[in-house]
Amino acid sequence: MSLTTQEKAAALGRVPLFAGISDESMARLAAAAGEQDFAAGQFIVRQGQVGTGLYLVLDGMVKVVRGADELARLGPGEFFGELSVIDQQPRNASVQAAQATACLALASWDLLALLGSDPQLSLNLIRGLVARVRSAGEQHRH
Amino acid sequence: MAMTQQELVDMLSSLTLFADLSRPQLEQVAHKMTEESYPVGQRILRQGFTGTGFYVILDGEVAVKIDGDERAKLGKGDFFGEMSILLGEPPVADIVTLRQLHVLHLGGPELEGFLRDHPQVMFRMLKAIAMRLRNASRWRS
Repeated sequence: MSLTTQEKAAALGRVPLFAGISDESMARLAAAAGEQDFAAGQFIVRQGQVGTGLYLVLDGMVKVVRGADELARLGPGEFFGELSVIDQQPRNASVQAAQATACLALASWDLLALLGSDPQLSLNLIRGLVARVRSAGEQHRH
Repeated sequence: MAMTQQELVDMLSSLTLFADLSRPQLEQVAHKMTEESYPVGQRILRQGFTGTGFYVILDGEVAVKIDGDERAKLGKGDFFGEMSILLGEPPVADIVTLRQLHVLHLGGPELEGFLRDHPQVMFRMLKAIAMRLRNASRWRS
Protein backbone atom coordinates (compact mmCIF):
# COMPACT_ATOMS: atom_id res chain seq x y z
CA MET A 1 0.00 0.00 0.00
CA SER A 2 1.17 3.49 -0.70
CA LEU A 3 -1.19 6.23 0.35
CA THR A 4 -1.49 9.82 -0.78
CA THR A 5 -1.87 12.57 1.83
CA GLN A 6 -5.58 12.75 0.94
CA GLU A 7 -6.00 9.01 1.52
CA LYS A 8 -4.19 9.30 4.85
CA ALA A 9 -6.48 12.18 5.83
CA ALA A 10 -9.54 10.09 4.89
CA ALA A 11 -8.34 7.18 7.03
CA LEU A 12 -7.56 9.48 9.97
CA GLY A 13 -10.93 11.23 9.56
CA ARG A 14 -12.78 7.98 10.28
CA VAL A 15 -11.18 7.74 13.74
CA PRO A 16 -13.38 9.24 16.51
CA LEU A 17 -10.25 10.64 18.12
CA PHE A 18 -9.82 13.01 15.19
CA ALA A 19 -13.48 13.91 14.62
CA GLY A 20 -14.23 17.61 14.37
CA ILE A 21 -10.63 18.83 14.26
CA SER A 22 -9.86 21.70 11.90
CA ASP A 23 -8.97 21.07 8.23
CA GLU A 24 -5.61 22.63 8.95
CA SER A 25 -4.89 20.21 11.80
CA MET A 26 -6.05 17.27 9.69
CA ALA A 27 -3.73 18.32 6.87
CA ARG A 28 -0.83 18.53 9.32
CA LEU A 29 -1.71 15.13 10.81
CA ALA A 30 -1.90 13.51 7.39
CA ALA A 31 1.38 15.05 6.31
CA ALA A 32 3.09 13.85 9.49
CA ALA A 33 1.63 10.32 9.42
CA GLY A 34 3.75 7.60 7.84
CA GLU A 35 2.61 4.23 6.59
CA GLN A 36 4.33 1.21 8.12
CA ASP A 37 3.92 -2.45 7.18
CA PHE A 38 4.43 -5.32 9.61
CA ALA A 39 4.75 -9.03 8.95
CA ALA A 40 2.72 -11.57 10.95
CA GLY A 41 4.33 -12.03 14.37
CA GLN A 42 6.34 -8.81 14.23
CA PHE A 43 6.25 -6.57 17.33
CA ILE A 44 4.99 -3.04 16.66
CA VAL A 45 5.50 -1.72 20.20
CA ARG A 46 7.03 -3.48 23.17
CA GLN A 47 5.98 -3.44 26.81
CA GLY A 48 8.41 -1.37 28.92
CA GLN A 49 9.53 0.96 26.14
CA VAL A 50 8.70 4.66 26.28
CA GLY A 51 6.13 5.52 23.62
CA THR A 52 7.35 6.98 20.38
CA GLY A 53 4.02 7.25 18.64
CA LEU A 54 0.38 6.50 18.01
CA TYR A 55 -0.62 3.80 15.50
CA LEU A 56 -3.82 3.48 13.51
CA VAL A 57 -4.53 0.06 11.98
CA LEU A 58 -5.34 0.45 8.26
CA ASP A 59 -5.44 -3.18 7.26
CA GLY A 60 -4.86 -6.52 8.99
CA MET A 61 -5.07 -7.31 12.71
CA VAL A 62 -2.90 -6.78 15.78
CA LYS A 63 -2.97 -8.37 19.22
CA VAL A 64 -2.32 -6.56 22.50
CA VAL A 65 -0.31 -8.79 24.84
CA ARG A 66 1.00 -8.39 28.37
CA GLY A 67 3.41 -11.15 29.32
CA ALA A 68 1.72 -14.33 28.13
CA ASP A 69 -1.81 -12.87 28.20
CA GLU A 70 -3.59 -11.65 25.10
CA LEU A 71 -5.65 -8.63 26.20
CA ALA A 72 -7.31 -7.56 22.97
CA ARG A 73 -7.32 -7.68 19.18
CA LEU A 74 -7.54 -4.51 17.14
CA GLY A 75 -8.49 -4.25 13.49
CA PRO A 76 -8.88 -1.57 10.80
CA GLY A 77 -9.91 1.83 12.21
CA GLU A 78 -8.70 1.04 15.73
CA PHE A 79 -5.67 2.71 17.28
CA PHE A 80 -3.17 2.20 20.07
CA GLY A 81 -0.14 3.87 21.67
CA GLU A 82 -1.74 7.22 22.55
CA LEU A 83 -1.33 6.77 26.31
CA SER A 84 2.45 6.61 26.19
CA VAL A 85 2.55 9.64 23.92
CA ILE A 86 0.64 11.70 26.46
CA ASP A 87 2.38 10.73 29.67
CA GLN A 88 5.73 9.53 28.26
CA GLN A 89 5.63 6.52 30.57
CA PRO A 90 6.79 3.05 29.48
CA ARG A 91 4.18 1.11 27.52
CA ASN A 92 2.17 -1.22 29.71
CA ALA A 93 1.57 -3.81 26.98
CA SER A 94 3.13 -5.04 23.75
CA VAL A 95 1.37 -4.97 20.40
CA GLN A 96 2.19 -7.62 17.82
CA ALA A 97 0.94 -8.07 14.26
CA ALA A 98 -1.43 -11.09 14.23
CA GLN A 99 -1.23 -11.17 10.42
CA ALA A 100 0.29 -8.98 7.73
CA THR A 101 -0.75 -5.52 8.92
CA ALA A 102 -0.49 -1.96 7.66
CA CYS A 103 -0.57 0.97 10.10
CA LEU A 104 -0.42 4.74 9.93
CA ALA A 105 2.11 5.92 12.51
CA LEU A 106 2.16 9.37 14.11
CA ALA A 107 5.33 10.31 15.98
CA SER A 108 4.93 11.55 19.57
CA TRP A 109 6.44 14.95 18.87
CA ASP A 110 4.14 15.58 15.90
CA LEU A 111 1.07 14.62 17.90
CA LEU A 112 2.14 16.66 20.95
CA ALA A 113 2.76 19.71 18.74
CA LEU A 114 -0.75 19.35 17.31
CA LEU A 115 -2.28 18.94 20.77
CA GLY A 116 -0.71 22.26 21.70
CA SER A 117 -2.21 24.03 18.69
CA ASP A 118 -5.68 22.46 18.39
CA PRO A 119 -7.83 22.38 21.56
CA GLN A 120 -10.44 20.21 19.80
CA LEU A 121 -7.91 17.40 19.44
CA SER A 122 -7.08 17.58 23.16
CA LEU A 123 -10.77 17.56 24.06
CA ASN A 124 -11.36 14.50 21.86
CA LEU A 125 -8.46 12.73 23.52
CA ILE A 126 -9.69 13.58 27.02
CA ARG A 127 -13.18 12.29 26.14
CA GLY A 128 -11.72 9.09 24.70
CA LEU A 129 -9.55 8.48 27.77
CA VAL A 130 -12.31 9.30 30.26
CA ALA A 131 -14.62 6.83 28.53
CA ARG A 132 -11.92 4.19 28.86
CA VAL A 133 -11.31 4.96 32.55
CA ARG A 134 -15.02 4.33 33.04
CA SER A 135 -14.96 1.03 31.20
CA ALA A 136 -11.65 -0.10 32.75
CA GLY A 137 -13.66 -1.83 35.47
CA GLU A 138 -15.28 -4.05 32.87
CA GLN A 139 -12.54 -4.72 30.35
CA HIS A 140 -8.87 -4.44 29.63
CA ARG A 141 -7.26 -2.08 27.20
CA HIS A 142 -3.67 -1.10 27.19
CA MET B 1 -11.79 30.64 55.30
CA ALA B 2 -12.13 33.00 52.36
CA MET B 3 -8.77 33.96 50.92
CA THR B 4 -7.73 37.20 49.33
CA GLN B 5 -7.37 37.14 45.55
CA GLN B 6 -3.61 37.30 46.04
CA GLU B 7 -3.57 34.27 48.35
CA LEU B 8 -5.82 32.32 46.03
CA VAL B 9 -3.61 33.01 43.00
CA ASP B 10 -0.55 31.96 45.01
CA MET B 11 -2.25 28.73 45.95
CA LEU B 12 -3.37 28.01 42.36
CA SER B 13 0.19 28.50 41.11
CA SER B 14 1.29 25.63 43.38
CA LEU B 15 -1.19 23.12 41.85
CA THR B 16 0.00 20.84 39.05
CA LEU B 17 -3.15 21.43 37.00
CA PHE B 18 -2.35 25.15 36.75
CA ALA B 19 1.45 24.90 36.77
CA ASP B 20 1.91 26.26 33.23
CA LEU B 21 -0.22 29.37 33.65
CA SER B 22 1.11 32.92 33.87
CA ARG B 23 0.08 35.22 36.72
CA PRO B 24 -2.60 36.99 34.62
CA GLN B 25 -3.98 33.60 33.51
CA LEU B 26 -4.11 32.40 37.13
CA GLU B 27 -6.04 35.56 37.98
CA GLN B 28 -8.54 34.73 35.20
CA VAL B 29 -8.97 31.21 36.63
CA ALA B 30 -9.47 32.59 40.15
CA HIS B 31 -12.06 35.00 38.76
CA LYS B 32 -13.87 32.38 36.65
CA MET B 33 -14.13 29.67 39.31
CA THR B 34 -16.02 29.96 42.60
CA GLU B 35 -14.54 29.14 46.01
CA GLU B 36 -16.68 26.80 48.08
CA SER B 37 -16.35 25.01 51.43
CA TYR B 38 -18.00 21.79 52.58
CA PRO B 39 -18.18 20.15 56.02
CA VAL B 40 -17.08 16.58 56.76
CA GLY B 41 -19.48 13.85 55.57
CA GLN B 42 -21.10 15.83 52.75
CA ARG B 43 -21.82 14.14 49.43
CA ILE B 44 -20.73 16.54 46.68
CA LEU B 45 -21.39 14.26 43.68
CA ARG B 46 -23.90 11.45 43.78
CA GLN B 47 -23.53 8.18 41.90
CA GLY B 48 -26.25 7.94 39.25
CA PHE B 49 -27.41 11.55 39.60
CA THR B 50 -26.60 14.35 37.21
CA GLY B 51 -23.30 16.02 38.09
CA THR B 52 -23.19 19.63 39.05
CA GLY B 53 -19.76 20.73 38.08
CA PHE B 54 -16.02 20.51 37.96
CA TYR B 55 -14.12 20.80 41.26
CA VAL B 56 -10.45 21.40 42.05
CA ILE B 57 -9.42 20.64 45.64
CA LEU B 58 -7.55 23.50 47.36
CA ASP B 59 -7.51 21.90 50.80
CA GLY B 60 -9.07 18.90 52.53
CA GLU B 61 -9.83 15.36 51.40
CA VAL B 62 -12.65 13.41 49.74
CA ALA B 63 -13.39 9.71 49.25
CA VAL B 64 -14.43 8.28 45.88
CA LYS B 65 -17.06 5.64 46.62
CA ILE B 66 -18.71 3.21 44.23
CA ASP B 67 -21.73 1.36 45.62
CA GLY B 68 -20.58 2.39 49.09
CA ASP B 69 -17.03 0.99 48.72
CA GLU B 70 -14.19 3.48 49.00
CA ARG B 71 -12.05 3.22 45.83
CA ALA B 72 -9.73 6.21 46.19
CA LYS B 73 -8.99 9.36 48.15
CA LEU B 74 -8.39 12.74 46.57
CA GLY B 75 -6.59 15.68 48.16
CA LYS B 76 -5.03 19.05 47.41
CA GLY B 77 -4.52 19.62 43.68
CA ASP B 78 -6.73 16.70 42.63
CA PHE B 79 -9.91 17.36 40.66
CA PHE B 80 -13.23 15.62 40.07
CA GLY B 81 -16.52 15.99 38.20
CA GLU B 82 -14.96 16.35 34.75
CA MET B 83 -15.70 12.77 33.66
CA SER B 84 -19.47 13.02 33.79
CA ILE B 85 -19.47 16.53 32.30
CA LEU B 86 -17.32 15.53 29.33
CA LEU B 87 -19.23 12.31 28.70
CA GLY B 88 -22.65 13.83 29.40
CA GLU B 89 -23.42 10.97 31.78
CA PRO B 90 -24.24 10.85 35.51
CA PRO B 91 -21.31 10.28 37.92
CA VAL B 92 -20.41 6.62 38.49
CA ALA B 93 -19.17 7.35 42.01
CA ASP B 94 -20.11 9.30 45.12
CA ILE B 95 -17.68 11.99 46.23
CA VAL B 96 -17.86 12.37 50.03
CA THR B 97 -15.81 14.77 52.17
CA LEU B 98 -13.47 13.13 54.70
CA ARG B 99 -12.04 16.39 55.99
CA GLN B 100 -13.35 19.96 55.78
CA LEU B 101 -13.10 20.71 52.08
CA HIS B 102 -12.09 23.87 50.29
CA VAL B 103 -12.58 23.74 46.50
CA LEU B 104 -12.80 25.80 43.36
CA HIS B 105 -15.99 25.06 41.45
CA LEU B 106 -16.87 25.59 37.79
CA GLY B 107 -20.37 24.94 36.40
CA GLY B 108 -20.60 21.90 34.11
CA PRO B 109 -21.64 23.77 30.94
CA GLU B 110 -18.63 26.08 31.32
CA LEU B 111 -15.95 23.38 31.46
CA GLU B 112 -15.43 22.85 27.73
CA GLY B 113 -15.03 26.57 27.02
CA PHE B 114 -12.73 26.91 30.02
CA LEU B 115 -10.46 24.13 28.71
CA ARG B 116 -10.42 25.60 25.19
CA ASP B 117 -9.41 28.95 26.68
CA HIS B 118 -6.63 27.33 28.70
CA PRO B 119 -4.99 24.62 26.55
CA GLN B 120 -2.17 24.24 29.10
CA VAL B 121 -4.71 23.23 31.76
CA MET B 122 -6.31 20.83 29.28
CA PHE B 123 -2.96 19.17 28.61
CA ARG B 124 -2.27 18.78 32.35
CA MET B 125 -5.74 17.29 32.72
CA LEU B 126 -5.05 14.94 29.81
CA LYS B 127 -1.86 13.72 31.51
CA ALA B 128 -3.65 13.20 34.82
CA ILE B 129 -6.41 11.20 33.14
CA ALA B 130 -3.87 9.12 31.19
CA MET B 131 -2.24 8.29 34.55
CA ARG B 132 -5.65 7.40 35.99
CA LEU B 133 -6.29 5.06 33.07
CA ARG B 134 -2.94 3.35 33.62
CA ASN B 135 -3.66 2.90 37.31
CA ALA B 136 -7.15 1.60 36.56
CA SER B 137 -5.71 -0.98 34.17
CA ARG B 138 -2.96 -2.03 36.56
CA TRP B 139 -5.43 -2.29 39.38
CA ARG B 140 -7.46 -4.78 37.37
CA SER B 141 -4.51 -6.92 36.36
